Amino acid sequence: MSIYLPIAEISVNLFFLVGIGAAVGFLSGLFGVGGGFLLTPLLIFSGVPTAVAVASVTGQVVAASTSGAISHYRRGGVDLHLTLYLVLAGVVGAAGGVAAFDFLRGTGQLDFVISIGFLLLLGSIGVLMLQESVRSLLKHRKGIVVRERMPSQHTWMHRLPWRVRFKKSRLYMSVLPVLSIGVFIGFVGSLLGIGGGFIMVPALVYLLRVPGKIVIGTSLAQVVAMMSATTVMHAVKSQSVDMLLAFCLMVGGTAGAQFGAAAGQHLRGEQLRGLLALIVLAVAIRFGLTLLLPPADLFSMDHLMVDQ
Amino acid sequence: MIRSLGVVLCAFQMATPAHAVRVISGISHDTVEVTSSFDGERLTFFGTIAPDVGSSDQVEGPFHVVIVVLGPTQVRVAREKTSNFGIWLNTDQVEFPGFPSYFHVLSSKRLLEVTDIITLSANFILPESHATAPNPAGLTKTLDFGRELIGLMTEEGLFGVQETALQFMSDTFYSAQLTLPGNAPPGAYIAQTYVFRHGAIVARKPDDFAIRKIGFERFLALSAIRSPMLYGIACVLLALITGWLGGLPFKR
Repeated sequence: MSIYLPIAEISVNLFFLVGIGAAVGFLSGLFGVGGGFLLTPLLIFSGVPTAVAVASVTGQVVAASTSGAISHYRRGGVDLHLTLYLVLAGVVGAAGGVAAFDFLRGTGQLDFVISIGFLLLLGSIGVLMLQESVRSLLKHRKGIVVRERMPSQHTWMHRLPWRVRFKKSRLYMSVLPVLSIGVFIGFVGSLLGIGGGFIMVPALVYLLRVPGKIVIGTSLAQVVAMMSATTVMHAVKSQSVDMLLAFCLMVGGTAGAQFGAAAGQHLRGEQLRGLLALIVLAVAIRFGLTLLLPPADLFSMDHLMVDQ
Repeated sequence: MIRSLGVVLCAFQMATPAHAVRVISGISHDTVEVTSSFDGERLTFFGTIAPDVGSSDQVEGPFHVVIVVLGPTQVRVAREKTSNFGIWLNTDQVEFPGFPSYFHVLSSKRLLEVTDIITLSANFILPESHATAPNPAGLTKTLDFGRELIGLMTEEGLFGVQETALQFMSDTFYSAQLTLPGNAPPGAYIAQTYVFRHGAIVARKPDDFAIRKIGFERFLALSAIRSPMLYGIACVLLALITGWLGGLPFKR
């Protein structure tokens, strides 16, 4: 059964859309990430115009992160104060990302920048996560108990000027690293159509030393707020948000995420991180190949606008 | 005034051959409606060749008919990838303003047997004739990129020449079928019918039809353009509600 997407102006199989939404939703529930980094490439590879794929997945990421953010908030796992700083910086970054997106689309380099962005970002994060999880798996096998990193161990970043006290995270630190992380994730997220949870979580843990209980909830709340703003910006700037496409993905995604979250409780944290690292690396390699292998057709086309 | 009218009449008479004909044509749809299940539509073009108004002569063949179906124009770009230090990226592009988003030719016979290439190009009957307009990129590059662009459009099913798609049911009555693909862009379309005799155009007639989103699809597409801010906010609300509702049944 196919469904006509009014903004993408193509007809796509409905079961395919809900299916990939559910599959990616399952993984996102399993690993606690938004899943945009899988969904955007999948849509692009299946023929949805890049601009529509990126902008519509932004809306799907909001839905995928909402229920998680609410349940973390109820359990007190969200540092709203920290989230506010991250979101404000994120919106600034996202405005830059949306503008860059528009500019690159005109010059014909959008696909290249998206490919290389995914390659570098996913490649480096994937390698780091794989290293870390293999190390802790080996330690676990040897019977060594890994102690969680202590919060409030300050690094040089915390001592920069403009310090603010974040009560919930039990941190007294400079807002500069917080704002930089926010701007970076906002920019990359809106450019690549990803929520950036898989960058945010390590950044909060390793750079800002936010306590583990607060990390996931804060990251999710930030993703919901920032991607909401990005969706509106994409809608205003490029009019390429396909609500029907986003809705099909949301329906599959929110259902899949619940099953993923249930399945995730049977796996250990380092096993989960190892699996996620492998998936992230696979997507990175796929993008690397499109850059390195000679394309089947040297020529490609795009339409910039409809003549009025 | 009268003299100038006479000149015009003379010119008109010279231009029209002794046996003036006209074509009476029609299309099965004047609007192709795009609903949520739209996956293309089959159109029938038909018509008959008749003596011109006021002329009592019988029409004399043999006739050939060519129908050119044109979609709304767009600004299209063709881009070429080259290898730079092992990485493939777009390095060159040519813009084609006013390029048809859809172009199909239905003909009763091979185009080059219907008439010569000059007549074909002058009337924009060949796909290539849409990619030869003067361009700041220079002539050779325009031609190269234009050819590739037409190739890509053909792969998408948006361009095509079907040289035997049009059949004559009698000496003067013809019909042709065309399947519009699901990715045919919505907008105003023109079907230009040309009647040829001995390689010369003896009659022509434009018919128009439209591909239009209707109902909910139309509402969504219009809102996205007319009130993008509200549309964006509606998307976000939809996402928040879907996300919230999706989590409810599983709440412990």
